[in-house]
Amino acid sequence: MSSVIVCHACDLAHRLDSLPAKARVRCVRCRAELYRTNDGSIDTVIALAATALVLFVVANVYPLVALTVNGSTRMTTLIGAAEAFYEQGYGALAILVAFTALVVPLTQILTFLYVLVPLRLGYAAPGQKVLFRILTALRPWSMAEVFTLGAVVALVKLSAQAEVSPGVSLIAYGLLMIAIAALINATPGEQYWRWISTHGPAPRASATRRSAPRGPATHGAAPRRVAEGSE
Amino acid sequence: MTRLVTGRSLGLIVCMRCRATVRAIGEGQSACPRCEAPLFARRPRSLSTSAALVITAAVLYIPANFLPVMHTHEIFSEDDDTIMSGVISLAHQGSWPIALLVFFASIVVPLLKLVALGEILFAISRGRVRHTAQRSRLFRMVEFVGRWSMLDVFALSLLASLVQIPSLATVQIRPGAFAFAGVVVLTLLAAQTFDERLLWDAEARD
Repeated sequence: MSSVIVCHACDLAHRLDSLPAKARVRCVRCRAELYRTNDGSIDTVIALAATALVLFVVANVYPLVALTVNGSTRMTTLIGAAEAFYEQGYGALAILVAFTALVVPLTQILTFLYVLVPLRLGYAAPGQKVLFRILTALRPWSMAEVFTLGAVVALVKLSAQAEVSPGVSLIAYGLLMIAIAALINATPGEQYWRWISTHGPAPRASATRRSAPRGPATHGAAPRRVAEGSE
Repeated sequence: MTRLVTGRSLGLIVCMRCRATVRAIGEGQSACPRCEAPLFARRPRSLSTSAALVITAAVLYIPANFLPVMHTHEIFSEDDDTIMSGVISLAHQGSWPIALLVFFASIVVPLLKLVALGEILFAISRGRVRHTAQRSRLFRMVEFVGRWSMLDVFALSLLASLVQIPSLATVQIRPGAFAFAGVVVLTLLAAQTFDERLLWDAEARD
């Protein structure tokens, strides 16, 4: 069966006669990625998310950088960094730092676990569609890796004048950055929706329980899906 | 060359959240049947919103680079640092790789974003149809590197948090930091509100 995929970046329509099981399909005009199957299974992603959660806790409990001057030591954490902005009257910057380096990565990790563990067991977590949408929208604002390098920059700057040492947390952040990158890489845009269709509850069960009030048939303006990457 | 067919001409819409291809019925807003996100053929007011964000960011770019971002108070000295002087002192202390990284993330990337987005938006508003593929590549590069400008904001927050030893040295944040973060966030938002398909629409009309 052939299906039509419209490129999200240049609106070019593509007819795909069959989708190879393992492949990456690019738009013939603008080279945007139209479709990619992931290598990892849902289990891999759950394992990665659990790893990321442990690393996240370690990264935020232990000190990030320690500064030793005249025998006295000062240490800070990510939350301490955001607090410093707040205490000096830059609340907006404090929120920005806390949001991009703390709230968003944590939300990503928890959402993956909250939605994927039930899916793996064959049922749908309440609100999974909204959460998957939020997950996609949050992607550009997840900046654990930028924060890690920012900490390295601060460390190098201080090392010229004082004795500084990286804390356990900096290593945890470095590993967290790799775990999150692997998570994102294992879940190309469409992957969530493929999981919902392959791991979710049987269609008849969901038709009676969940989709009655907002199914496409109920409001006239609702469109019909003609093609989906996975089919 | 074969005739290229767009989703719009077939009455198909692609969902911006989950990228499902959906048959459009009327121009009115409706929700994606797969993920329930709002559907639109083109992001509403993409060009004007994006342009407004770029212009605001361009204005903020001036204080972001000329105002000090931090003030260092030491026993025998007081120092104001701008983004650029921070890079220069890193280079002086001999940390070339880090100096280059910060120079790239804090000076090159914001400027590149402003110039590239400005050029792309201007070209679209003028209906330029040539070099679309290059502009598309430029836009994706801007999207890809844009986040790295936050590097200095994070470094600054850690310095302000660590260097608080009143008898020896303290670091205070200065308003330049606010302007700089403003440039970073506004350009990130501008790239997100820009609908790439607008680049290719002019070509389809040609």
